[in-house]
Amino acid sequence: MSSTSNFLAEMTNSPVVVKLQHGLEYHGVLASIDGYMNVVLKDTVEMVENNKVRNYEEVFLRGNNVLYISQK
Amino acid sequence: MSESNSTSSEPLDLIRLCLDEQVFVKLRGSREMVGKLHAYDMHCNMVLSDATETIFYTEQDSPEIKSRTKKSDMVFIRGDSVILVSDAANV
Repeated sequence: MSSTSNFLAEMTNSPVVVKLQHGLEYHGVLASIDGYMNVVLKDTVEMVENNKVRNYEEVFLRGNNVLYISQK
Repeated sequence: MSESNSTSSEPLDLIRLCLDEQVFVKLRGSREMVGKLHAYDMHCNMVLSDATETIFYTEQDSPEIKSRTKKSDMVFIRGDSVILVSDAANV
């Protein structure tokens, strides 16, 4: 397993920020991730330009839209 | 990353759990879709029934965001336009 995917796997169950290419940000707890960077986050807040837009109990984000995943 | 699958669940499992439930799908092009999920695949291609599509737009010279809706009895969504999927009850 490569070190970058180790990094991602080790982040599961910790709070993360996922930023998408179009500027949307998702703040939540990383529940799972796969090799495409498809992501499931729990207890997630959707943010646009630092404004809360919506809450999701559990949300799937398609990997192709991901810009970065950062530990909070 | 599939070679070491210490965590049993993968992201697409969440979509599987939404089968036959109302799902909320955020799409490219400022669109959102809510409907009952009948089928999906690894590309996030999805089939929804009784779907309501909300299209957000702005008109020239106005910053106000407007929306209109379209209803479909049955709709196939191509996976590459999917941004996000969630159980509609939990949004």
